[in-house]
This record gives sequence, C-alpha cells and structure tokens, in this order.
Amino acid sequence: MSNPFDINGGACVAMVGKDCVAIACDLRLGMQSLTISNNFPKIFNYAPSTYLGLTGLATDVNTVSDLFRYKVNMYRLREERDIAPQTFANLVSSSLYEKRFGPYFVSPVLAGINPTTGKPFICGFDSIGCIDFAKDFIVSGTASDQLFGTCEGLWEPNLAPEDLFETISQALLSAVDRDALSGWGAQVYIIEKDKVTQRLLKGRQD
Amino acid sequence: MYGVLERLGLRRSKLQLFFGRKKSAKRRLTQQVADLTGAPGVKLTARPEVLLGIAGKDFVILAASKAAMRGPTVLKAEDDKTRQLNKHTLMAFSGESGDTVQFAEYIQANAALYSMRNDTELSPSAVANFVRGELARSLRSRSPYTVNLLLGGIDPVNEKPHLYWVDYLASLAPLPYAAHGYAQYYCLSILDKHHHPDCSFEEGLALLTLCTDELKRRLPIDYKGMLVKVVTKDGVREVPVDNDKVVRSA
Amino acid sequence: MSRRYDSRTTIFSPEGRLYQVEYALEAISHAGTALGILAKDGIVLAAERKVTSKLLEQDTSAEKLYTINDNMICAVAGMNADANILINYARQNAQRYLLTYNEDIPCEQLVRRLCDLKQGYTQHGGLRPFGVSFIYAGYDHLRQFQLYQSNPSGNYGGWKATSVGANNASAQSLLKQDYKEDCALKEACAMAVKVLSKTMDSTKLSSEKIEFATVGKTKDGKIYHHLWSADEIDALLREQGLAKVDDEPEAGDIK
Repeated sequence: MSNPFDINGGACVAMVGKDCVAIACDLRLGMQSLTISNNFPKIFNYAPSTYLGLTGLATDVNTVSDLFRYKVNMYRLREERDIAPQTFANLVSSSLYEKRFGPYFVSPVLAGINPTTGKPFICGFDSIGCIDFAKDFIVSGTASDQLFGTCEGLWEPNLAPEDLFETISQALLSAVDRDALSGWGAQVYIIEKDKVTQRLLKGRQD
Repeated sequence: MYGVLERLGLRRSKLQLFFGRKKSAKRRLTQQVADLTGAPGVKLTARPEVLLGIAGKDFVILAASKAAMRGPTVLKAEDDKTRQLNKHTLMAFSGESGDTVQFAEYIQANAALYSMRNDTELSPSAVANFVRGELARSLRSRSPYTVNLLLGGIDPVNEKPHLYWVDYLASLAPLPYAAHGYAQYYCLSILDKHHHPDCSFEEGLALLTLCTDELKRRLPIDYKGMLVKVVTKDGVREVPVDNDKVVRSA
Repeated sequence: MSRRYDSRTTIFSPEGRLYQVEYALEAISHAGTALGILAKDGIVLAAERKVTSKLLEQDTSAEKLYTINDNMICAVAGMNADANILINYARQNAQRYLLTYNEDIPCEQLVRRLCDLKQGYTQHGGLRPFGVSFIYAGYDHLRQFQLYQSNPSGNYGGWKATSVGANNASAQSLLKQDYKEDCALKEACAMAVKVLSKTMDSTKLSSEKIEFATVGKTKDGKIYHHLWSADEIDALLREQGLAKVDDEPEAGDIK
C-alpha cells in the first residue's frame, strides 16, 4: 500500500535499435489513486546523447535528477567534454550506493550513444545502484511487469529509428493502460548519433 | 520516527548481508518506507483542512480554511494559513500544527534574507525549488516537517503566474490549479471541468465559489469559511468573500 | 621600514597599507594582459598567452579563459595555480545555487561570493592573498550582459571595458579612447585585438599568443558562450590585418 516506489506512480522504458536507442516515460504524478499532475516528465538530459529516466518516489525523482545535474555539470567543466553514457552509468551507480542504508527510492533507466564509439548503450539500476546491463530493453516503474510483457512481445533486434519509435511507444502505451498508477500521456526520445527527436504522445487521459 | 527505525533497519540489514545482498536490500526498503511514509501520509491527505490554488491569466488565487483544529475541536476560527514570502510570492500551508507555522516562517525569513542580501527578489520558481529542497532535506532528518504547501506567485520579469503544489514528501509539481487536504477529493474534478489557463480574475473567483459551495454541500465539517488571497503583478491582497452563504445539502 | 609590516597580511603599515595585497597586485602586473569589452549584444574577453618556450606542450585547452557556468566566463591574470582554486570554487558555488534555486546564479552574486573568499585572505593571519585578478563576462535576466573585474583585495566593480595584467594602464587608456557606447559585438572583437596588439611585445599576433572568448545571444534568444578555436582567432587577425605573416623566430623562442 505505501511502498514508496508505488506512491506516486510512473513508468519508464529504454530500448536498443540499430545505431540508435530510445527512452520513454509516462507523464503521471499521483498520490496513491489520486492524480495530481498529468505533466510530470521523468526523463532528464545530461549530455547531447545521454538521457536518464527516473521512476519511483516523486520527491526523489526531483532530488536525484537535480543532484546528477550538479555532478554532470561539474564533470563537464572539469573535463571540458561531455560525459559518456558508460561513465555516467558508473556515476549513477556509485552515487546511489552512497546512500546504501537510506536509499533514494528511484529505479533509474539510462539510454545513450557513446560519443566516441557511436555504439548504443542502455542500462537500468536498482535503488542502491546495482547496474543491469542489457542488449535489448530496460523497464522500470509501477507498470514494469506489464512493460516486460509488451517489450518481450514487440521488440526485435536492429530496429531502425522510426520502427524503434513505433515499438517503444506501443510497448509503453499498452503497458500503462493496464496500470492504474501510470499513464496520462507519454514522452519519447529517439537518440541517434548526432540527432535526438523528442515526441509527446497524448495517450488515454483517464 | 524515521531515524529510529532507520537505525533498527541498519542493524537488520547487516545481518541480512550474510544471506545475500540483493534480496536483503529489497526487503529492507519496503519495510523502511512503510514506516517512513505510511502513517503520516494517510493522516495528511485526510486532514480536515482546505487549501485551494487557482492560476489564471495574470493572477494566482490561494484560499485556505480559517479553522485551526486540534482533533475534533476548533481552537480558532480566524486562522491565517498563509505567509507572504516576498512582494510577488505567497505560500499557503496545512499539516501537523506547530510544524506548519514553524516551517512557513523559516522559509519567510530565508526569502527576506535573500532580498536583503541581494537587493533583488527570488522568482516564484526559485522560491518553490528552495522550499522543496528544504523540505526534502528535512524528510531524511530525525524529525521531518509534515507540511503540505501551495505556492503562488507572479514572475516579476515576465509577469506570468506560477502555482506550485508541494506535499510533505517534498514532491513538487507546477500546476494550473491545485488542492490539498479533503478539498482534493471534492474540488479537483470541478476544476478539471471548468478551469482554463486564460481565465480572468472574476472567472477565477467564480470558480473558487463553485469549489467552496461543493465543500459546504458535501464536507461534513465546518471549516469556518475561507481566507482568500490573490497575487497579481502589483503584489498580494486579501479578497473579501462571503463565507455566510448557505448552500443547501444535496 | 616596510620590513616590519609586510610579512603579515593582516597588519596595516603606518601609512595604512596592506603590503601583501600590494605585492599580489604587483605580481599580477607581470602576467599576460587580459581585457574585456561590453557590447550591446554581447561581451568579448581576450587574453595574452605568454609562450615561454617552444618545447612547451601546447595543449588545446585554454590557460587564461575559463567557463564558470552556462552563462558566465572569466579571464585570468596572475598565478594560474591560485586561479584554479578560485575557479573551482566559483563553479561549485554556481552549481550549488542552481541546485538550490533551479536557476542560474545572477552574475554579480557569483562575483561577490568569490570576492568574499578573496577578502578573507587579506584579513586572516598566516595566509597569503590569492595572486589573481579576474575579468568576468556574463548574462542574467536582471541586468542583461555584464562585465566585472576583481582583484586580490576582494574589491570588484562593473565595467564597460577593462583590462588587467601587464601594461593594463596603457590598455585601459586605449580602451577609454576607442570605446563607443552601443557598439556591436563584432566591433568589440576588432577593438579587443587592436588593443592587445598595441600592448603586447610583438606587433604581429597569432592564435598561439592570444585567447579569445565571447558571450552573446543566438537568434532565438538563447545565451551562448564560446571559446574561440585557433582558426577562428587567425581569421579575425587576418581580417584586422594583425596576423603574423611568416614564421620568423620570435624573441621568446629558444634558438
């Protein structure tokens, strides 16, 4: 009932395609069954092709996203270059594990393209920073069970950017429609080597 | 309460490290949060206090019930659950009595200190983020503030209205209209239907009356009427409202 | 006479001077010149890079111009080691403000925080003042484009055009002569290289000897700051007829 991961609701998914990755989230913010806002994006940008999705307790979504902005900005100023997804994954992991005995209640999902190799990269984390590397897709949030099903059914290897967009959108929308705590539209990012497309999906508004 | 259980939990988790980290971590988390958020959460959403906020074209209305209650007893019927933070920002609060005023005046003092130090005022969004930060810090302290807030303000640079909803867990959401306490269940659907972002001040007040009428009709508590304030580009002022209007129950 | 008073930063001399602070200012007046010019649509910062030896590795990163945050850059004159400490302090402060208020720090506030730190080192015993002067260029919604200068004493002020480092007096008077109210960023850039060419030892400039940066607004109203690449600097120098023509050895080079 009051598991902190389920209070505010929300879902996020990332997928790998051919020389591209996609990440998508829903837009709901709730308190238990009551919806507070239908415009609460959960994906944050940290470098031209590095994105982080955060589901879980809304307060920690805010706190953690701001904290990483601080850390990544300092990294960029010090190193005079953008952070690579792999590096960022390790930053996320160690930052979350710092709070091992009083964790942030978030389940991050990372998607990006390595700026030097051009290879797609996705991974997920538990709330204390254990990295889950994946070659296909990563799901998180209150609709993660449903997302596992829809992704397992729809995803296939080497999808082109437009096909990947279709796949991730259908997977997310179908999943959140079967979850009472997430939905109310979605935000999708398709990340290619030198191009990022952001799309807003209307979705069911109930 | 959180701190005590955290210490208990810490000991428990150390034992569980023997049996494997992943599993023990998962179990500990759920236990911990039930302790952290369960009880006060339920108590806070079900408080007999009413906070309403409506943002329109060039204004933000904040309304708060005037009753100060302790259990079923009304201690005061002319309570002001709002504090002005600077010329263009107003905050309304509800929650654990004691915490509320203490926290609100702490924020008020900090906003005033900023204005004095820097000869300029914080924008509503800056205030909202500062408030959220302080509340989030307090949430993981030994004794967190249990305060729900609405923040209304006009950005002095572009004169756009801003309304922020903040709960005691320090979740922050910018919204066109918002409510806390019982008002959420009665008023949000009315606002969903009738609110539009370009509405004039008169329309905003009419919308508020629609909400308070519904509260009078359905809420079986006398919250002693509403104190209504509005923020415009000229500052904050109180709006006189007729609290004696009788609404027939359905 | 001065011996009795100048070893401690915290002690005034009978004439009411703080010798350590003055020595710090003296140290800076030997450093490469840096200057800043405020235009109506942006700010330009330029600095002289002292090439000490051709054996020195010329890495691409700037040594006198630094980014502080998304809407602010600065030029340094003085001890680079000291500057690094202060720049890191400024960056952290800017990011902490962003974390607290979810807004970029107003320029003057950041300058003031840095100067409060600098001031502390002129008052607490046993410490040496920071041997750096800064020129800051930034933008915020309150006061649009702004140019500041600070020195080791912790004093700071807003300027339309200013300079620090070697020959700053002559640079300052050149700027005073040439500065036009409401000049465009492009004119300001031209003025910056012209002044630098007159205050530097060699008349012919090259991208190895100077660093250049601008803060401005894009067409869609976004603030950008840009540290110029060697090619861009050379292009500007050619445009102004100040570029070095051939590869004749310079005085500073090892023969």
